Amino acid sequence: MTSGNHHAFVSGPKREFECDFAVIGSGAGGASAAITLARAGFRVLVAEAGAWRAPEDYPWSMTGTMRDMFHDWGTLVATGDSIIPIVQASVVGGTPVINSAIVVRTPGDVLASWRDEHGMGDVFSEAAIGKAQDEIEVELQIQETDWSVVGPTADDMLKGFKILNREVHPIIRNVAHCKGEMQCLQGCKQKSKQTANNLWLPELIQQHGGTILSCAQVDRVQLDGGHATGLHGYFRHPTTRKRGADFKVVARLGVLVAASATGSAPLLERSGLRSPALGKGFRGHPGAGVVGVYDRPVDMHIGPSQATASMHHRLDHGIKLEHLSLPLELFAARVGGAGQALMSKLDHYRQCAMWVTAVRAEAVGEVHQTWWGGRSVTYIPTQRDLERLRYGSKLLAQAHVAMGARAIWPGVAGMPAELSADQLDLFDSAPLDNKAWTWVLSHLFGGCVFGADPQRAVVGPDLHVHGVRGLHVVDASALPTTLGVNPQHTIMAVARVTAERLANA
Amino acid sequence: MGTALVCSALRCIFVSTSDLPGLDRVDPRPAVRALLLDAPPAMWWGTVGSAFLFQIMPLLLIGVPLPASWLPARSRDRYAQAMATSSIYLARMAMMMLKTVGGLVWGQIPEVRTRLSLPLRPDDPGTWRGDQFETRSGRT
Repeated sequence: MTSGNHHAFVSGPKREFECDFAVIGSGAGGASAAITLARAGFRVLVAEAGAWRAPEDYPWSMTGTMRDMFHDWGTLVATGDSIIPIVQASVVGGTPVINSAIVVRTPGDVLASWRDEHGMGDVFSEAAIGKAQDEIEVELQIQETDWSVVGPTADDMLKGFKILNREVHPIIRNVAHCKGEMQCLQGCKQKSKQTANNLWLPELIQQHGGTILSCAQVDRVQLDGGHATGLHGYFRHPTTRKRGADFKVVARLGVLVAASATGSAPLLERSGLRSPALGKGFRGHPGAGVVGVYDRPVDMHIGPSQATASMHHRLDHGIKLEHLSLPLELFAARVGGAGQALMSKLDHYRQCAMWVTAVRAEAVGEVHQTWWGGRSVTYIPTQRDLERLRYGSKLLAQAHVAMGARAIWPGVAGMPAELSADQLDLFDSAPLDNKAWTWVLSHLFGGCVFGADPQRAVVGPDLHVHGVRGLHVVDASALPTTLGVNPQHTIMAVARVTAERLANA
Repeated sequence: MGTALVCSALRCIFVSTSDLPGLDRVDPRPAVRALLLDAPPAMWWGTVGSAFLFQIMPLLLIGVPLPASWLPARSRDRYAQAMATSSIYLARMAMMMLKTVGGLVWGQIPEVRTRLSLPLRPDDPGTWRGDQFETRSGRT
């Protein structure tokens, strides 16, 4: 056993580090690749822009969560014809620290598309991805949600969809011994969620001599004559955002970029990479919720934040339907109205259940760095995406009514604020206008997409950046398609397969 | 100035009912001040800019040529609702921003959580892992 190091914010003179592989980002892709390389005997360094917070450091309040765990307080938005908030973390362990821990295997149709339409051959075959996902499922204790801890909102959705004769199931999660305290979105303080900051990254340091830099903003990858040789960055204080010491990392064997679908392309732009495909092919699963109002308490604050899902219409309508409980603080922003109208609704918080439609959107956007060093995301859901959302929203409303909801709050500008059970057909004529819906964008893909053609793809079939030696992209930014399911399992598996190929090269 | 502007808007949006305390009854200033102090520029400008829009839009939305905070209580409530349901996208987005910030502040108030039978929460630890153990106020 070789003990490694963790370096958080420091000021003072420039720090220098050496390793075999440098990994930028510690989320699903970065952490998975890092631990795979470390177990293979390589000296690995992980640089993460966010701070390292263990479960006892997680905030209790949503304010604290947004301040301490979200990328720039959750202010990153996609713009186009409307403003769509983007949910991303900035913390050691990445977005899985603040997601609902949903784990879904990569659908076969997605792997077939990568093989047949994106020139990937057998790199990500069902066998290779399946083997990686088998291993990950053991390591992260992946299991079906324990139904004894779910709240009424999740149970109602399960029953409601059965009444509508739609496929519905308890969600599979990387959670062990869940206590149902509805803290998934704030970081699970019970240590039930099995995330990289609690498992793989401590192992990296304690058992494999790895190094982790937290609060470490990577400025650019060092490219020397078409060869990635390291990276440059600086420490940034997690509270004051004060700039600390600069650092330089020399990576003897290569650099792996996993800075997220909104971060990897801007980073490679800053590094001077020239590719006609860089920043393009940005995709996602935008979604919006429908609130059912009941005469009985359904208590969104009890149970996991997400426990029930329906894939019934994944292929024919491109939607996934899920239960999603919001804490009171976020629910206040989602509910329509202001003043007395708002407060009378919030007084019914415990009688409200929210279920959401996640759209496997056809929209394709772009992500680039801005002139001041930020991230710019341009993304416009299409008319077809809006039709899918409208279809899913009506179905969710029907399920609410089937379970006894006395009213529906659609949350759509141009529709009545409240619908009764006999008004659900109004969804059929809901505006096909992005400004009318309260979209939220999660499950992000692209920006550095893989493919055989360097004119259309940033990275090749082995996730090796076209035309640059020693540089790989191992996060969701490499994925050229949406999945129609929650992506963290796919991202971890793709990163693991890529890292294994690197280790065996 | 920013804190006062934001609090003025939030008092109109999160207004007390007979059952539920609002931000007109529980002082939001300490929480809003702390939030704006920590917020990155985009968050600060978005919040304060939205509060500014809230002040100046009564003429456009309800035809009354007064800043929002000068409106009588009943008109203020009508105005807040008009902004939340306006056909003007910018007005709705400004209201969404204010409700997001207001929700963060209001949803933490012990009286509110007690009224809704929600568990009270301890203070945020504000800590992270450093070379040494770190708190928001410095090394320990």
